[in-house]
Amino acid sequence: MAHDCVIVGAGPAGMAAALTLADHGVRPLVLDRAARPGGQIYRAASASPLPDRSVLGADYAAGAELITAYTASGADHRAEADVWHVGADGKILFSTDGGTCQAEAREILLCPGALERPMPIPGWTLPGVMTAGAAQVMLKSDAVVAEGAVFAGSGPLLYLIVAQYLRLGVKVAALVDTTPRDNYLRAAPLLAGALRVPSMLTKGLSLLHEIRQAGIPVFRWASDLQVLGQDRARGLRFVTPKGAQEIAADTVFLHHGVTPNPNMTRALGVQHDWNPDQLCWHVRRDPFGQSTLAHVSVAGDGGAIVGAEGAQCEGRLAALNMLCRLGRIDRATRDHLARADLTRLKRLAGVRRFIDRLYRPQAALRVPQCPDTLVCRCEERSLGDLRAGFDAGARDPNALKSLTRCGMGPCQGRQCGPIVSQLLADWRDEPVSEVGYYRLRSPQRLLSLQELSRFNRVHPAPEEAQ
Amino acid sequence: MNADVLIIGGGIQGCATAYHLARAGASVILLEKDYIARHASGVNAGGVRLLGRDMAEVPLSRAAIQMWQELDDTLQGDTGFRPTGLINIAVDQADLDKLHARQNLMQAAGYTHEHIIDRDELLARLPHVNPACVGGVRSDLDGHAIPYKATNAFRLAAERHGARVLDSCELHALRRVGTRWLADSTAGRIEAATMVNCAGAWADRIALMIGDNVPLSHAAPMLMITARMPQFAGPVVGAVSRQFSFKQFENGTVLIGGGAKGFADRANNATRLDYAKLAEAARTTVEFFPIMARAAINRMWAGLEAYMPDNLPVIGPAVNAERAFHAFGFSAHGFQMGPVVGQVMADLVLTGRTDFDLTPFRIDRYDRKVL
Ligand SMILES: Cc1cc2nc3c(=O)[nH]c(=O)nc-3n(C[C@H](O)[C@H](O)[C@H](O)COP(=O)(O)OP(=O)(O)OC[C@H]3O[C@@H](n4cnc5c(N)ncnc54)[C@H](O)[C@@H]3O)c2cc1C
Ligand SMILES: Cc1cc2nc3c(=O)[nH]c(=O)nc-3n(C[C@H](O)[C@H](O)[C@H](O)COP(=O)(O)OP(=O)(O)OC[C@H]3O[C@@H](n4cnc5c(N)ncnc54)[C@H](O)[C@@H]3O)c2cc1C
Repeated sequence: MAHDCVIVGAGPAGMAAALTLADHGVRPLVLDRAARPGGQIYRAASASPLPDRSVLGADYAAGAELITAYTASGADHRAEADVWHVGADGKILFSTDGGTCQAEAREILLCPGALERPMPIPGWTLPGVMTAGAAQVMLKSDAVVAEGAVFAGSGPLLYLIVAQYLRLGVKVAALVDTTPRDNYLRAAPLLAGALRVPSMLTKGLSLLHEIRQAGIPVFRWASDLQVLGQDRARGLRFVTPKGAQEIAADTVFLHHGVTPNPNMTRALGVQHDWNPDQLCWHVRRDPFGQSTLAHVSVAGDGGAIVGAEGAQCEGRLAALNMLCRLGRIDRATRDHLARADLTRLKRLAGVRRFIDRLYRPQAALRVPQCPDTLVCRCEERSLGDLRAGFDAGARDPNALKSLTRCGMGPCQGRQCGPIVSQLLADWRDEPVSEVGYYRLRSPQRLLSLQELSRFNRVHPAPEEAQ
Repeated sequence: MNADVLIIGGGIQGCATAYHLARAGASVILLEKDYIARHASGVNAGGVRLLGRDMAEVPLSRAAIQMWQELDDTLQGDTGFRPTGLINIAVDQADLDKLHARQNLMQAAGYTHEHIIDRDELLARLPHVNPACVGGVRSDLDGHAIPYKATNAFRLAAERHGARVLDSCELHALRRVGTRWLADSTAGRIEAATMVNCAGAWADRIALMIGDNVPLSHAAPMLMITARMPQFAGPVVGAVSRQFSFKQFENGTVLIGGGAKGFADRANNATRLDYAKLAEAARTTVEFFPIMARAAINRMWAGLEAYMPDNLPVIGPAVNAERAFHAFGFSAHGFQMGPVVGQVMADLVLTGRTDFDLTPFRIDRYDRKVL
């Protein structure tokens, strides 16, 4: 299969890019591991299992329109196509129907979206502890909820899922907000920039209002979180300015922001830069999303956190640039068509800066504080194990991985990667940018040996006549 | 900075050399451009194999296998070594013939560590092997270790004896002035009386700096490791004539090697994988061990390894410079030899001689005498 363009990920970024490409006569191959297009925010928006999907909010409903347009665009969408390798040579390997297929592309657009930032508090790996995003995935895909759960952390997504639960009449034990008081002061100077997109702010405020109106216990300025329970979660302990608190609950949902999913872009070897505002690695890109490998572009939350609307702007921009590179439009046309999205992105960036500052996660919640708290869930390596490895001379994330096995498990370091880089930065007293990140490789996830053994090199089809 | 001995390269050869020298009282500086065990020595298959060695290597490899049995104690560290034994599988009569021919050679040389086994014994030792296999050969002293840990254990022991190990420190230039080696490195000027080149896949560049030419090449052998599986294989497994090798660790993960090569990008310190070849290795694995069809591959990688045309290393003094020694070109089986190579290099540096015959490993064995 030889294609002008292959897009990985059919979230807002990938879908918007496909629409723009289709407008100019390029039919992309779009690969997504999910059963339906939509990505995180619009997961299952075209076929919601919920009797009334309006509880998920107006944004979610709007997603259905985007999906409809995308579906009609003629993009070659492959559902349940799990990409396990993207090569610098333009070859993409993906699993589908139990076998591996190879696609080849002149231009590649990666839109793998975000991951939730891990919150390695004591007990975070107990059964019954999940991320708020997982709560949302269960809700959106399977209409499953957890009664009487505690939600802890900070940031818009946390408040959104709480509000969604409350709209459904699901009992919520408490919202434990870890946003530090200082953040409000620090974010204040950025408020003016955020006000340039007032709708975003009102959306956020109305969520918080909705939660307060519902009358569930809300604890603010929480710190020192700890999941209670021995073999499974029994509740959450934390400290507020009013003293120590304990809340019993069988389910604890944690969330303090999202970061780009680094695995595909890392394995590909494009450049990344540490972003101290978002406390995560960004893919180095030009304004059109082109990475340090010219034929690979990245759009949406997989490159830097921009949100659903920003993801669509970036998707369209990347598409315009790829059209230009493919010779379908000239540079002047690209630049002309790009103007609106570039302007919009600039405005959205003002809001983003404000949100990033306001919901900047506490340092003490980003790395474990107790020696026996696990960092690597797959290989069960604790903070103490890592410190011992560091003391035995492993100062680099990869050396530490080789020595302690931290990050060697099936999640490919998705969970522990950011924690390890931060820990080493603290221990070495150097910036995270100096410490770097795991050297990652394909496959992106466990790959069956049987499937691999059946893989044969697929020779590219003859060029389609233009 | 000054030292008696300057070692280039923080792989297992460099670290073992540093250990043996420092233990003997020499002052040692070791330079590693990345971090210790970043390359072949930290990412290899961990095979500690005496079985099937080239005849020229057997004496060194035999000495090494003895050292491995006590290495944790010697180094007061954890190398992860497990003497599980090793079996090479014979798939047909031709393989068995090969084994018997080798047996004769080995016996003539007085070596008794390789034992030919029949099909029944093979099936008894490896119940999950494809029953079509006809026999094999085993060696009981062999096993596996954890490459990074083993290399780092040498490094830590060397440091305990006073060696200075500098990582993120690259040797840029080297020249001899009078009786001293002057080195320019990331950490500045270093002076030493003696230089040891353990620079792995980059060793030809170091050799060139001191006037020794060598037909070294490099390649990127690939490995893959599975998620945990129920224990089904104790010994390390290889094959007499097929590209196939695997071992199951105590935690249940299975490491699959076999020698398939990816793409080596030495200039960028990087390797790329060849998935079609890995697929071939997956096929062979499932063919030999049908139980592996259930395995899930967790990670795949490759490392940069130095190769000589005859697959034998270079070990010994430089030919065009004074007080310079080489140990490199291990051609994908140098991890096992690390402990003894360190000893040999230390002996050469300190006494100018060694108990082993190094003739097959001379750096100038490919020099053309005629055009
Ligand atoms: C768990 C979670 C829930 C979220 N919920 C919301 C929400 O409700 N509202 C909101 O405003 N924002 C939400 N976000 C933030 C969200 O990331 C953005 O709003 C938006 O969805 C980003 O769009 P995107 O196109 O960049 O990525 P995404 O929407 O995340 O789309 C990425 C797509 O790539 C696919 N993909 C990834 N890797 C592979 C692979 N290897 N092979 C094949 N396909 C792959 C995924 O299946 C997915 O469909 C959520 C984020 C997370 C992590
Ligand atoms: C995938 C793979 C599997 C293998 N499996 C096995 C096995 O099962 N059993 C076995 O016995 N062997 C195996 N080997 C071979 C074994 O790993 C090597 O032979 C051995 O590790 C070589 O050690 P070394 O110290 O010579 O080289 P290396 O480990 O490569 O060390 C050389 C070091 O020198 C450094 N260096 C280079 N130039 C400079 C400079 N200018 N300044 C400073 N530093 C420099 C490099 O950065 C490097 O770290 C395998 C190799 C690979 C790649």
